[in-house]
Amino acid sequence: MTAAERHIVAFTVEMAVLSTALILPVGVALAWCLARLRWRGKALVETFVALPLVLPPVVTGLVLLKLFGRRGPVGHWLYSEFHFDVVFTWRAVTLALAVMSFPLLVWTARSAIEEVNPALEQIARTLGAGEWRVFFTITLPLAKRGILAGIVLAFARALGEFGATIMVAGNIPGVTTTLSTDIYQLVQVGEDSQAWTLVGISLTLAFAAVWLNLRLMQRGKR
Amino acid sequence: MSLVLKNISLPLAPFTLEVEVEIHGRVTAIFGPSGSGKTSLLELVAGLRRAKSAFIQLGDRVLTDTAEGVFVPVRQRGIGYVPQELALFPHLSVRQNLLYGNRSGRETSHLFTFERVTEVLEIQPLIQRGVTELSGGEKQRVALARALLASPRLLLLDEPLASLDAKLKMRIIPYFARIRDEFRVPMLYVTHDRFETLALADEMVVLVSGKIAQTGSVREVFSRPANLAVAGLLTVETIQPGRIVQTADGLVSVAVGSTMLTAMAHSLSPDTGEVYVCIRAEDVILLAKGNSPTSARNQLPALVLSVTPEGPHMRAELDCGFTLAALLTKQACEELALKPGHPVVALVKAPHIHLIAR
Repeated sequence: MTAAERHIVAFTVEMAVLSTALILPVGVALAWCLARLRWRGKALVETFVALPLVLPPVVTGLVLLKLFGRRGPVGHWLYSEFHFDVVFTWRAVTLALAVMSFPLLVWTARSAIEEVNPALEQIARTLGAGEWRVFFTITLPLAKRGILAGIVLAFARALGEFGATIMVAGNIPGVTTTLSTDIYQLVQVGEDSQAWTLVGISLTLAFAAVWLNLRLMQRGKR
Repeated sequence: MSLVLKNISLPLAPFTLEVEVEIHGRVTAIFGPSGSGKTSLLELVAGLRRAKSAFIQLGDRVLTDTAEGVFVPVRQRGIGYVPQELALFPHLSVRQNLLYGNRSGRETSHLFTFERVTEVLEIQPLIQRGVTELSGGEKQRVALARALLASPRLLLLDEPLASLDAKLKMRIIPYFARIRDEFRVPMLYVTHDRFETLALADEMVVLVSGKIAQTGSVREVFSRPANLAVAGLLTVETIQPGRIVQTADGLVSVAVGSTMLTAMAHSLSPDTGEVYVCIRAEDVILLAKGNSPTSARNQLPALVLSVTPEGPHMRAELDCGFTLAALLTKQACEELALKPGHPVVALVKAPHIHLIAR
């Protein structure tokens, strides 16, 4: 592996880790709300969260580009308040990976939380536990495996993201280039042998992630 | 401590639970057939379920008052709840389960110390184990201890013995009796079992299809059921007060009036004297009058008092010094030519006579 390849692999893994870490608290909180509460607009939020799964990734990417571009509503605000750009920077890579892998985390975590017997949470309340304590001592430990599986799945999805990333972050060597955008670039310019090295790395990472995910799901069932 | 339930109205699938009662007993059995709203009533008291309208007061504290918008959250009620499924936390050890409710900063009474509760319920040997390694009876005791260690002002027990077999049930009942006598926590004990009611409760509330059919002391309700529905629930078996006369070789001789019965001694503590003798009607076998030897320990000459059809069976009421109910098939009834006044011999095997300390 050349230094450039190593850099790309490290950058991609970094971005995937960062995006997964960012969506984790929000994703688990949303999963809990979907699993345990009944509220108005729940179906709407469910649908909205699932959209990136079914939309063409370039569409999601385009929406993000319009929202976070310096002239977009969110991007403009971020620039004027905090003086930083999102699109075509590493932040955009994180953003794209986060949005694309969010539904996988929420769905897996939600079903893991739903599988926790609500009677256990009820009993914890009769024993004097408040909602936070119930969540951290009962719900979370019992849903742990499923949530972990969701994290691995989201991480794996982030590693391979292409469509949204290329729209919102582009493919700027050394700045926003990830494994998949680099493979695309190399094949475009006919450097197939270099591309194959990266394909091998992608394959290894994906294999490890999916294998871990399946093992977690299996052990979760017991 | 008294529990006041007023204006309770909770729509359930086939009926509406409507309850109005004041409970003062140490152990009050909520007695009724399955699906009569017993569990829902407990959940209302615990605050796990909200009613359309309800007023619930425990001691001097109003827990729920829908008219005034009062609803004390579950965790602040100080009410222990042991559900039918026990709900032990599977990812925690026995010790962690026991201590779960013990650290919430609530005023803890010196009565419910860890040592005392685990001693009374005999769970010290189990403390280091995982919850999944416990047997049914052990789980039952751990769930009970966990609820007690949160120092509850009231304990709600939802058919705590329903999942245990008859033999195990007899072994667990004394633990509940010890809780009742040693910790003096008032208990609401949901059950559809007369046995458990007689063994543990002093008062009872009979619930049929969401309505209270009768309330009163256990003795009063059992001896004077208010109506046909209650009588139907209660008079399935023969229950007679008796006195233990002698214990030998694992057998006890019990006097019921002037009639002597032989029963097994295993479920009784040695110093028991006064008992309730319970005999299920289907455990009584009838013989035509005559003298053929049988293995049954109890052969009671009796006179038929009445014969009435009951579903596919016939119920015979017999006088053998006390009133004994027997359930038999129509065919058997015809072959024996049972009629009021007819002499027969009633056979009951010793293990079929259940003794409950009174």
